Amino acid sequence: MLPFPQADEVRTDRVAAIAQDEALVRAVLARDRKATAEFVARYADKIYGYLRHRLLPRADLVEDFAQEVFLVAWRSLDQYRGEAPVDNWLLGIARHKVEDHYRAKLREPVDLPEENDLELSFNPPWDELLDRQQLQERTQQVLSSLPEAYSVALLWRYWEKRSTRDIAALTGRTEKAVERLLARARELFKRRWNDEQSPA
Amino acid sequence: MMNSHLPDDMLFEDLAERTAAYKDKAPSRLKSRIYSRLMLEEAEAGPLHSLSNCARDGRRLCVFEELVRIAPLGESARQRNVCRVCHARVLAEKMENAPIYWPNCPYVRFQNR
Repeated sequence: MLPFPQADEVRTDRVAAIAQDEALVRAVLARDRKATAEFVARYADKIYGYLRHRLLPRADLVEDFAQEVFLVAWRSLDQYRGEAPVDNWLLGIARHKVEDHYRAKLREPVDLPEENDLELSFNPPWDELLDRQQLQERTQQVLSSLPEAYSVALLWRYWEKRSTRDIAALTGRTEKAVERLLARARELFKRRWNDEQSPA
Repeated sequence: MMNSHLPDDMLFEDLAERTAAYKDKAPSRLKSRIYSRLMLEEAEAGPLHSLSNCARDGRRLCVFEELVRIAPLGESARQRNVCRVCHARVLAEKMENAPIYWPNCPYVRFQNR
């Protein structure tokens, strides 16, 4: 069995990784084309993956957002202080962009279905899906099928872990309105999930 | 295993937790476009780190870059973004895993083969 890494080893690895990141950043700042290629090759998958999952159902926005994240990063690369790994720093930029998108979406008037349009939910049988991959695919499928305001509300609240108070403050809505939107979104999510589960 | 008797909030927090990890590969076209865009920005900001210096630093050059490096040209030519006029860039930006195979070409490196 592999020994569990000691705290000192973890710290040393982290310091070494950040030192590597800093060297790469210095080379990119020196306009070294090979370092720039390395920068893109090293971090693009992570940023793309994050954006693809957070911008559901707007797959059409992912590539533009990813490009924008790298541009913003390059323009502010001289502000990178090596306090965190570069991928975390890039994810922070991506997160800002995603939240800007969420904010804009939830500031638009949301057309909620009538009260009786939604049936009372029953508990979704998520536990039947043991495979993480399947669970992820189904989750994406259902999120993509929701009205955008609903998927944005769910992603922001649960995947980005923002409180309803924060969301309310950032979108100019009342907390109550955000809670109502989330309740509707959860109900529709579960209904769609169950619809998918039902045999044809 | 997910406990479906949890209150809604916890149920969704749990679902988010279980689906938070993802391992996607960015399309090679996208990586190519990002790189090209960054190179444009860098070239606009000033001369690039010259190909002679790249070679001196131990970086491997593609055949086209190597030609520019050894050709009897001024140093400023070696500081230009030579990928701008290379067909590999055009193909890589337009096609997923474009059929380009030059060793040490950045656009080949971005491919998900």
